[in-house]
Amino acid sequence: MTVDSSITSALEKLPETPEETVLPTAMETITQTQTSAESVTPLQVHLKAESGNLLLILPPQTELKEGPAVWSDLWLQLKQRLSAGEKFWEPNTLVHLIAENWLLDGRQLQEIAEALAESKLVLKLVQTNRRQTAVAAAAAGYSVEQESAIAYINQYQLTSTKPGQPFLEPLYLETTLRSGVEIRHPGTVIVLGDVNPGSSIIADGDIIVWGRLRGFVHAGARGKRECLIMALQMEPTQLRIADFVARAPENPPAQFSPEVAYVTDEGIRIAKGLGFQRPDLS
Amino acid sequence: MARIIVVTSGKGGVGKTTSTANIGMALASRGNKIVVLDADFGLRNLDLLLGLENRIVYTALDVMSGECTLEDALVKDKRQPNLALLPAAQNRTKDAVNTDQMKQLVTDLAQQYDYVLIDCPAGIEMGFKNAIIAAKEAVIVTTPEISAVRDADRVIGLLEAHSIKKIHLIVNRIRPAMVQANNMMSVQDVQEILAIPILGIVPDDERVIVSTNKGEPLVLAGSNSLAAIAYNNIARRLEGEKVPFLTLETPPEGLWERMSRFFRKK
Ligand SMILES: Nc1ncnc2c1ncn2[C@@H]1O[C@H](COP(=O)(O)OP(=O)(O)O)[C@@H](O)[C@H]1O
Ligand SMILES: [Mg+2]
Repeated sequence: MTVDSSITSALEKLPETPEETVLPTAMETITQTQTSAESVTPLQVHLKAESGNLLLILPPQTELKEGPAVWSDLWLQLKQRLSAGEKFWEPNTLVHLIAENWLLDGRQLQEIAEALAESKLVLKLVQTNRRQTAVAAAAAGYSVEQESAIAYINQYQLTSTKPGQPFLEPLYLETTLRSGVEIRHPGTVIVLGDVNPGSSIIADGDIIVWGRLRGFVHAGARGKRECLIMALQMEPTQLRIADFVARAPENPPAQFSPEVAYVTDEGIRIAKGLGFQRPDLS
Repeated sequence: MARIIVVTSGKGGVGKTTSTANIGMALASRGNKIVVLDADFGLRNLDLLLGLENRIVYTALDVMSGECTLEDALVKDKRQPNLALLPAAQNRTKDAVNTDQMKQLVTDLAQQYDYVLIDCPAGIEMGFKNAIIAAKEAVIVTTPEISAVRDADRVIGLLEAHSIKKIHLIVNRIRPAMVQANNMMSVQDVQEILAIPILGIVPDDERVIVSTNKGEPLVLAGSNSLAAIAYNNIARRLEGEKVPFLTLETPPEGLWERMSRFFRKK
């Protein structure tokens, strides 16, 4: 079934009974010609280990609705990222804050330092391209590098990956993604925990959920149809892979087993995880 | 130092204020010194539930602005001398308060009491932030409805981000017959999503509404209704006692019941 309208209206046109003969499980699928350019992957707070230090790279402050526009959004994202990745660094690792164009005052820097301290990390250096942030950081006793952060962004390909560009390293989150949380990552996302209804993951690569998948997930968000979505318990609000959309059937199966969602010429299909082989897409 | 517990939910009308009043009373009757703080500025009603409305002279706002002392504003309950209420202002907006003032106020209260219970407003805006800023623990109240559970989940995420890690769940207004008939989420369903330890299950009971209107919390009236027992049990569990859940509180169902439920659906 091909629909070229928006997703919402496409959903309304879903057949009452899915073509169960074709589908390994009763996932309803829609093929649709949504342009992948629509699903820009904006940036989120990013943590990256580098030569013994941890880089805390803030996304540039933008007006984009997908990105953190205000300090409280940024702070929340930072706290959630830190608690979901705690086991990836040694206690007392030094942190370099790449503050991009954020205008941070002493109190906000202190709140970042406190959030880091709670995860046993130590804020050491602040890199910024805003003079006021540099002044506040110096006053608070941090080392300051005042230069354009653009260099860093380019260096680590933090900008949205275009088709053909390599992904960022996988994002590993050990947490429950609760309602309201949105993860965007220009690469593969791995969640050790449940993805609850009301949360979403938008990844340029694969999405792997070691837990219950009940939220909204979009793999291959920049258009890569080979991307997969895997979950121990596949009950998503909605699945998307590249420009394909599917949603779970009304009646969940009596028992769940690990499953993989993948794209075929007919749309998204679900297969048992055990013995799954990635099909060749022509 | 007091235990500072915020009672919150995200969604309105699920029983935060009712729970605050009853848990406060139950804890007080067990010999604890309790202050309940109405943080629902602009829409206060904890005083109504406690039947203390006509004794209010000053409010929390007056304390924060320095117009009176904390002692002046605290309303002592004559029926239960262990319980005091710090009322919210009725006629001002939520924006009249900031987090620093709120922190100070709660810190001051914590000096004098065993428990500070904070009745949180609905939503996740400024009023919510003020209510949770000084809290060390949280009690999440939800009803077994998808929308309430969704909001509760969101709020738990926010509490965790604010480093409030001790979070317990009350499922309010359970109707066992409806759960049995598969027309209502079970406690198990709720817990599967929220994944936090359960503090209590309160049945839907019209006596709760009657007591609300009388300004006399069920627990205070010495009611032997299941809701009153449930609230007493919640207070005991808060104090660390292991109290078994009432049978009417529908214990988490076993795998077999779950399976048969699924089959019945078809
Ligand atoms: N267990 C219950 N059984 C019946 N009614 C209830 C119960 N809990 C709360 N209510 C009713 O629900 C309404 C909302 O409760 P309230 O405590 O004011 O919610 P909130 O503070 O979350 O907005 C009130 O009318 C109250 O009497
Ligand atoms: Mg209320």
